[in-house]
Amino acid sequence: RRGSFPRSEAKAGRSDLIFLIRFRHCCLLRDQRCLLAYLYDRLLRIRALRWEYGSVLPNTIQFHMSAEEVEWFNRYKKSLATYMRSVGGEEGLDLTQDIKPPKSLYIEVRCLRDYGEFEIDDGTTILLKKNSQHFLPRWKCEQLIRQGVLEHILS
Amino acid sequence: QRVLLLVASDVDALCACKILQALFQCDHVQYTLVPVSGWQELETAFLEHKDQFKYFVLINCGANVDLLEILQPEEDTFFFICDSHRPINVVNVYNDTQIKLLVKQDDDLDVPAYDDIFRDEEDEEEDSENESDGSEPSEKRRRFEEDVIERTMKRRQRREWEARRREILFDYEQYEYHGTSSAMVMFDLAWIMSKDLNDMLWWAIVGLTDQWVQDKITQMKYVTDIGILQRHVSRHNHRNEDEDNSLSIDCMRIAFEYDLRLALYQHWSLYESLCNTSYTSASFKLWSVQGQKRLQEFLADMGLPLKQVKQKFNSMDMSLKENLREMIEESANKFGMKDLRVQTFSIHFGFKNKFSASDIVYATASLMENVEKEGPETTNFIKALDSLSRGNLDKLHQGLDLAKKQLRAIQQTVASCICTNLVISQGPFLYCSLIEGTPDVKLFSKPVSLCLLSKYLLKSFVCSTKNKRCKLLPLVMAAPMDVEQGTVIMVGIPPETESSDKKNFFGRAFEKAADSTNSRTLHNHFDMSIIELKTEDRSKFLDALISLLS
Repeated sequence: RRGSFPRSEAKAGRSDLIFLIRFRHCCLLRDQRCLLAYLYDRLLRIRALRWEYGSVLPNTIQFHMSAEEVEWFNRYKKSLATYMRSVGGEEGLDLTQDIKPPKSLYIEVRCLRDYGEFEIDDGTTILLKKNSQHFLPRWKCEQLIRQGVLEHILS
Repeated sequence: QRVLLLVASDVDALCACKILQALFQCDHVQYTLVPVSGWQELETAFLEHKDQFKYFVLINCGANVDLLEILQPEEDTFFFICDSHRPINVVNVYNDTQIKLLVKQDDDLDVPAYDDIFRDEEDEEEDSENESDGSEPSEKRRRFEEDVIERTMKRRQRREWEARRREILFDYEQYEYHGTSSAMVMFDLAWIMSKDLNDMLWWAIVGLTDQWVQDKITQMKYVTDIGILQRHVSRHNHRNEDEDNSLSIDCMRIAFEYDLRLALYQHWSLYESLCNTSYTSASFKLWSVQGQKRLQEFLADMGLPLKQVKQKFNSMDMSLKENLREMIEESANKFGMKDLRVQTFSIHFGFKNKFSASDIVYATASLMENVEKEGPETTNFIKALDSLSRGNLDKLHQGLDLAKKQLRAIQQTVASCICTNLVISQGPFLYCSLIEGTPDVKLFSKPVSLCLLSKYLLKSFVCSTKNKRCKLLPLVMAAPMDVEQGTVIMVGIPPETESSDKKNFFGRAFEKAADSTNSRTLHNHFDMSIIELKTEDRSKFLDALISLLS
């Protein structure tokens, strides 16, 4: 324990340095708390990424994550998947869909920027150009709406 | 199955698109909407999307060209075309597999008969057959002669048929005009499906009014279509008369009006509206000092003080507004304006919101061709599309402001053109060219604005000139389009007469003139009478046009 360090110096006879040492010690503890808070905040954001982007993160984001963080993400993913499989009967329930209660089955969305081709799980590709409008089932668009590529149009 | 909507850039197309979107949303048909402003964009959009879609719907584009030839689609691709452009290309009419046209039953298409234009390939007589016969030389020669005569007859028949075909096609395709508004056709579709709503009816009304504002249909057709829509309006909006069952003020209502023909007058001041509407401005000849005096006399005749007339219409005294329409009509008759009132519709929702159909047309058109904001053209299209929904009143008001600026700019340009005699007769047509540096010239680099300017200019010119022959001439108008690329946009409009059938021959004329002079032209717009060309080629193009039409 680091707590013993100042006493040994004091025992060594340099009692005038005690306040300096204690001050430095407090700073170190504070730095440690800040680092832990920062790392914890990063963890929370990485967890939120799973809900925002899905199970595959874009390369630009993975580039900024450390190896340990990637491993943590994978384990979180696995844990979430196990939980989702256990809920909701045979197939499991995808909790990342429909985070807000949906008002309709199909929605009208507008593309806010040139995104290129987007492939959905069932194989259909949609070409997303700026200012094109689409009328699609809600589940196909949700991810892109969250990413800010598509905008939900209410008529 | 998903559908791709390709929508042209005019107000009628936007209205038809809104109706179709509503129908698709009702039936959960997945679609993608791509705005297209010309043939190039249409082709690009088709190429980009052809792998993902089998069904294409084209609104106000595609009917007047051989679509299959241009796009070269796969065999299992289907095109549904709802286009008011006429004449419809004969290939599109007679194709019964891939092209489906949405046309009203009583729209007279005047299409030539199938046998007059199409002919199955016939096998030519084979002469080698006779030579394999082991018959006598004289018999062979006789048969050979008969064959030759037969073949010559067939060839002559074929040439005659082809000459007749060329003539028939020339007559059919010579004049461009417009059929029923696409928005009305779409509303008809909704009605047949029993899915029509008051909102869709309003869009159909705006679509028809757009055709009227842009002078695309004859007066008779307009009145007939108004009658058709009036029946629907009564059906949807009859609850207001019944005191017990009347709707809340916030509900949307459409009402038939025999309203004044003054542009945007309820959102402007009466004075501004009188000055900036082409009908009144041309009749009074407001570009001249005497014209201004006549306007003052007109207002005095009605007993309207200048101060009242120059303030916002909503702030005018109630006592003056009470019988305004009848009063104005009476005075207008004295001053030679017999058609100051026109049959139209208006929409009410809430206490403050009352708009006439023509207000919406002007506002939407200005938003669509807004040159003030930089950015892709599609942004303007989207904004204009949004403004047609009642929830987007801020965009509508923005459109109204832009429309006022546009109308003012048009009137000022018209006045300066007439005062400086910029409209010159080239023989078979009148010609006017806007030079770079004219105020607001950027506004007129867009096709719809330029067409509006041309029509107003022609109306005013006809009122101002004393030359009887010039009054009957059509007008060709040119304006700089892109200074960097050195291009000019040119439109041709038919002559301004009382009983004009609005048929425009400039489409074919421009094509021929461009071919004969090898000018670098681009027929990008869906209206064939609008072209873009390089500034250097302008004079030789015009010379060719003059000699062609003389």
